[in-house]
Amino acid sequence: MTDLNAQEARATVRVDKVSHFFGEGGSRNQVLFDNSIEIEAGQLVIMTGPSGSGKTTLLTLIGALRSVQSGRIEILGRNLSGLQGSDLIAMRRNVGFIFQMHNLFDSLSALENVKMAMQLAQCPPSQMRRRGTEILERLGLGHRIDHKPKALSGGQRQRVAVARALVNRPKLILADEPTAALDKDSSRIVVNLLKELTTQEGCTVMMVTHDNRIIELADRIVNMVDGAIKSDVVLRDAVMICEFLRTADLFKHLTPTELTNIAEKMKRRRYQRDEIIIREGEPGEEFFLIGQGSVDVRKRGTEAEERRIATLGAGDFFGERALIVDEPRSATCAAASDRVEVFALGKADFKHALDTSASFKDQIQAIYFQRQ
Amino acid sequence: MDGQAERIEWIGRVMVGVRAVLSFAGRGTAVPLAWRNMLADKRRLLRSTSGIAFAVLLMLLQLGFRGAFFDSAVGVIRNIDGDILLTSSSKFKFAGKDPFSRRQLYAARAVEGVESARPIYAEWTISSWKNPQTRKIYIAQVLAFDPDQPVFLFPEVHEHVEALRQPDTALSDRRGRRFLGFAPAGTLTELSRREMRIIGNFALGPDFSSDGTVITSDRTFLKFFAPHQLAAGELADVEFGVIKVRPGYSVELVQHTLKQALPASIAVRTTAEWLALETAFQNSGSPVGPIFMLGTAIGFIVGTMISYQILYTDLSEQLSQYATLKAMGYENAYLVKVVLEQASFYALVGFLPSWLLGVCLYYILGEITLLPFRMTFGISVGTLALTIGMCVLSGFLAVRRVLAADPAELFR
Repeated sequence: MTDLNAQEARATVRVDKVSHFFGEGGSRNQVLFDNSIEIEAGQLVIMTGPSGSGKTTLLTLIGALRSVQSGRIEILGRNLSGLQGSDLIAMRRNVGFIFQMHNLFDSLSALENVKMAMQLAQCPPSQMRRRGTEILERLGLGHRIDHKPKALSGGQRQRVAVARALVNRPKLILADEPTAALDKDSSRIVVNLLKELTTQEGCTVMMVTHDNRIIELADRIVNMVDGAIKSDVVLRDAVMICEFLRTADLFKHLTPTELTNIAEKMKRRRYQRDEIIIREGEPGEEFFLIGQGSVDVRKRGTEAEERRIATLGAGDFFGERALIVDEPRSATCAAASDRVEVFALGKADFKHALDTSASFKDQIQAIYFQRQ
Repeated sequence: MDGQAERIEWIGRVMVGVRAVLSFAGRGTAVPLAWRNMLADKRRLLRSTSGIAFAVLLMLLQLGFRGAFFDSAVGVIRNIDGDILLTSSSKFKFAGKDPFSRRQLYAARAVEGVESARPIYAEWTISSWKNPQTRKIYIAQVLAFDPDQPVFLFPEVHEHVEALRQPDTALSDRRGRRFLGFAPAGTLTELSRREMRIIGNFALGPDFSSDGTVITSDRTFLKFFAPHQLAAGELADVEFGVIKVRPGYSVELVQHTLKQALPASIAVRTTAEWLALETAFQNSGSPVGPIFMLGTAIGFIVGTMISYQILYTDLSEQLSQYATLKAMGYENAYLVKVVLEQASFYALVGFLPSWLLGVCLYYILGEITLLPFRMTFGISVGTLALTIGMCVLSGFLAVRRVLAADPAELFR
């Protein structure tokens, strides 16, 4: 678990202000508009949106299948921007691609098709057969490794393609409707494997799909419309935050719907000991709820020395005052334990929550005035 | 027969080569994608192979004809036992009458390093030959030599030197054209309207300017074609002077000395130079040589087109697979390598059956045309190189299809 957290601290995919154009000159057509997104390791992300919304273009950019034109993309800690030719091609070797069509060579057996990927990873020849067989077995094809694609069912072929994409254990997997051509059993096997890779090996999976069985397992759903990310819902966080909110005094009178609405808008953040979360005197933009660890509240005011006025623990919240009265932060809050997890709610979402939920407003006000 | 032995030897060598290529294709741990792709569809492989094989056969036949044409043209020169040939300096091809005085032969004998200088008399135009069966008259090539100074390497001529001393006797070519008739030893027929007895046969075969050859003694020849000179006791003109260099002397040096000793009207060429001169004349001076090269070029172009069509179809059908390889991180160089490898395999697979068929066709054509069709090392390797060349060229043309494949389009 500690290992996973260390990985999660670093984003697998970091997209920053990416725009993209097709065509040249007069027929130049913008398909992506200033998109930014960060995806942490271990997430299963579903991309949705109507066709032409730019989701596949964004995936091809992240997968180094196209050159980045504008903005910055980083995958697995390496910058893709400005890469061309061989450098771009080399980056692809770190990514596992699963396409809608299996695209297997009819002339090669299942194992040989998988070997085509292993060849690229400088896999020792002595291990090729063992590793190839292993992944095919994991996908339920152990008895079919020497079959040609023509001798396999559609679902089996697609599973061979999945094996080919995963055999080099890529930390980033990009998939386009991987289950569209699959029967129920094949689909279950593939989806379970992908989910397992995210939870157990910290792989990041980005996938375009309309398959409900996968959406249920998704950690995050990114919706794109007209070349821009319209919504980005972190489902797993939302569920966890929701669970947590229910136990907090602040939210005890909220209806489940109100709770979910707030949870969905909260972002999970992590801080190391002594990291500053908010600083006295700065404008307030967010409201914070402590999920884990403790936070010191320090105040300087007019004095020369800063002074600790309180220590907050899990379930406590802070940062509400600046939002309610529209004033700069009146104190500095810093992480006081090793791993502090807070849930942040943006100013607008916070005000919206106050407006729509009477009980939330009452609770906030009650506690707020208590503190005065 | 020499040609037969050469053929068998080449079959052996080619088999070894094919085995090496096969083991190379299946070698190591790398997935032999090109090899597998070629073998994937057996019916298409058969179609493709026969297309390429057809072009290969076309080239083999053209080159075979060309070789036979050139070889036949120098058939006599190859069978002359000499290092240097003297001719009139205006003579430009073997079979064109342009004699010079025999006196020059005596002059040549005086030159240091000359072992012997022997005459060859020849007639190509007025030498009418009567077919002993049909009694019809045709023109034959007549060559003559002094039985005291033999010049020909044909074993049968050696055997019959003594018999040729009898007047009005001759040896005839057993591989001459059929229409010249069948003239075994003992046959009586007519040469230049005079009766003559055939006392044996040798094997030379026709070329593109003569249908058959008759060899006689110098006396018989002069009696038939220069009776007045013989009667007057004059020295008859000779067509060739065959010089043998004394052991220990360099041919070039003797050639040089001869050039100085003889007048400018006499050309002094080594046998090798004569072979080259004859080949050069047939290649450029006669219209026949270039026609075969044109035929070979057409075979090459047809083969390139067929091979391109095959590869293009094959690549088009697997475009998404190749695009997937690109998405996986394969460089273009790898794709080019796979396509060219596949093209080379097609070349080899198409070449082998054609070559075997070519060997058979050469034999059949040799028997029909009586021309020396020989599957030489040069023709075999040359055609193999052309075959690989045409497949690789078409591979380079077809691979652009794969290089243009965009892996980004695999997401749709």
